[in-house]
Amino acid sequence: MTPQIEIASVDKHYGAYHALKDINLTIPRGAFTALVGPSGCGKSTLLRSIAGLESITSGNLRIAGTEMSGVPPRKRDVAMVFQSYALYPHMNVLGNLTYSLRFKGFNKEQARKKADEVAQVIGLTELLERYPRELSGGQRQRVAMGRAIICEPKAFLFDEPLSNLDAALRVHMRMEIRALHDRLGATSVYVTHDQVEAMTMADHVVVMRAGVIEQQGAPLELYDNPANKFVAGFIGSPAMNFLDATVAEDGRSARLEIAGKPVLPLARTLQPGREVTVGLRPEHLRIDTAAPRLQVPVRVVESTGSLTYSTTETEPELMIVEQGRGRYRAGETLPLTIAPEDIHLFDPTSGTAL
Amino acid sequence: MTRLPVPRLFLALAMVLAAIYLFPLYWMYATSLKGQSEIFANPPTFWPRDPDPSIYPETWERRSMGRFLWNSLVIGTGVTALTVLLGTGCAYVLARYRSAWVDLGLFAILMLQVLPASVMITPLYVGFNQLGLLSYPRTAVILAAAGKAIPFYIVLVRATFMNVPRELEEAALVDGNSRWGAFFFIVLPLARNGILVLAILTFMQAFGEYIYAKSIITTQAYQPASVGLSGFLGPNSTDWNGIMAYAAIYVTPIVAIFVILQRRIVAGLTSGALK
Ligand SMILES: Nc1ncnc2c1ncn2[C@@H]1O[C@H](COP(=O)(O)OP(=O)(O)O)[C@@H](O)[C@H]1O
Ligand SMILES: [Mg+2]
Repeated sequence: MTPQIEIASVDKHYGAYHALKDINLTIPRGAFTALVGPSGCGKSTLLRSIAGLESITSGNLRIAGTEMSGVPPRKRDVAMVFQSYALYPHMNVLGNLTYSLRFKGFNKEQARKKADEVAQVIGLTELLERYPRELSGGQRQRVAMGRAIICEPKAFLFDEPLSNLDAALRVHMRMEIRALHDRLGATSVYVTHDQVEAMTMADHVVVMRAGVIEQQGAPLELYDNPANKFVAGFIGSPAMNFLDATVAEDGRSARLEIAGKPVLPLARTLQPGREVTVGLRPEHLRIDTAAPRLQVPVRVVESTGSLTYSTTETEPELMIVEQGRGRYRAGETLPLTIAPEDIHLFDPTSGTAL
Repeated sequence: MTRLPVPRLFLALAMVLAAIYLFPLYWMYATSLKGQSEIFANPPTFWPRDPDPSIYPETWERRSMGRFLWNSLVIGTGVTALTVLLGTGCAYVLARYRSAWVDLGLFAILMLQVLPASVMITPLYVGFNQLGLLSYPRTAVILAAAGKAIPFYIVLVRATFMNVPRELEEAALVDGNSRWGAFFFIVLPLARNGILVLAILTFMQAFGEYIYAKSIITTQAYQPASVGLSGFLGPNSTDWNGIMAYAAIYVTPIVAIFVILQRRIVAGLTSGALK
């Protein structure tokens, strides 16, 4: 089956600025793909290139098998949900929902019928006569969603659609958008800077940095096997701890460059004396009073009741996450251990995973 | 309680200023209705003792005001049409594209705004003469006055367009509009109030245009009311009630249009198209 969206060797320049560098991405029909990365990495640019709002400098972009170069947005049959929602202020909700239908040969009654269906799906039936300025943020967000789904496009493009909502609503809408996607059997591309959103919503996560795709794959695949230090640090919350280390003489353990020079056994053999960067996820560092691998003084302890976050006094400092309430207080020493297979190793210069 | 008098003070000040500004308007109407001797009475009378409205039809006839006002209307409409047609597109482009050239263009436009009509008229006259435009004097005045009005219009309408979020236009493009469609169905309706206000201001300005018309239009049949009025005035003018009646006839439609449309504009603005 032809993939719904195919992006091959795409480059985008804004004058001298190289915004997208050799992007390759295949999105199968029905997939929920998240583009995630820090602000300014080119996520929106890539999404807007798919929509046709930006022209790509080189490379190929196909939607449902058709080459899209020179095809204007209106002929691409995609729908977009903007961060600001971009509802037409001079039209009521009904007008906003049905705006795109007038270009698809719907007459008034057909459009009205379709709008009623969509309003039912996203719970807007009561609000059809209202104007955008009379709606709450969450309601506007729904209208923007409704406007996207009404024309049954080949792909939904979301550009940080939840970032203007409060935290509770954001978590709720996350699930709703994903449920809607499944119900419609749609193909979605979802841009976010929030890795939690990407991890929880998407089937396929694409991590970008400075116009480059650093890694793509299933969410847990990225969590378990980050391709490099950037992805390792970006995926997962709180972020992974990184420490300089040297491979010990036996080649099967690493000596950490923090106070006390503790030694951690590794799951595999490396060249003795080699310098590495060790990555330890806060949730993988366990408290172990019986046989601790490293003993670190605690500086700050913060607890939410269900989780406890401890920050150590070391240089660089480490973050440790424990289930439940913490047993140790600031100023005490934490006895820690970590399973060898949970230790991530990176080349200190290139940052690639070893 | 201590803060209460301040708004009242400002209100009182505003009323006084309004009265000062509106007094000449009142004086114009009052004088036009007075008899010859009453005009020069000392102390002046604030209300005509014996109002005589017959001066209005008389002045209209004697001064062939129908023709003058028609010319003013032609010039005002022409200038407004040309300004709105050219200026709107120009303002949109200048609002949407950012580059050094756009900045340069804006600077040039602002410079044009600085040059007074009295400085521009000589080169314009020579140029129009070369092009043979002086045989179409009203067209020539429309071109000259529109040239003067467009920069002001562009700068302000551009600001209006910049208030229309770009994402709205992009949403329209994705929804199925062409660039033109997005402009006409989304951007223009949202910028409508700003455009309307400036079109009215442009019209009022052009309706009262004097310098270009006085210099370019030599045939009386094509002169607008502003030039016609000046023909009345001279060092030995005595026909003050006639002059005031002329001025009243000239000004009243503009004032009326402004008052009527201003209510609509304010209503349009407060209903808040955006956000
Ligand atoms: N129209 C433009 N002209 C020049 N540079 C741009 C333009 N749009 C975006 N950029 C640059 O491209 C980079 C990527 O932008 P964007 O895709 O919006 O980032 P994000 O990942 O935050 O969505 C940024 O550094 C931005 O400054
Ligand atoms: Mg963005």
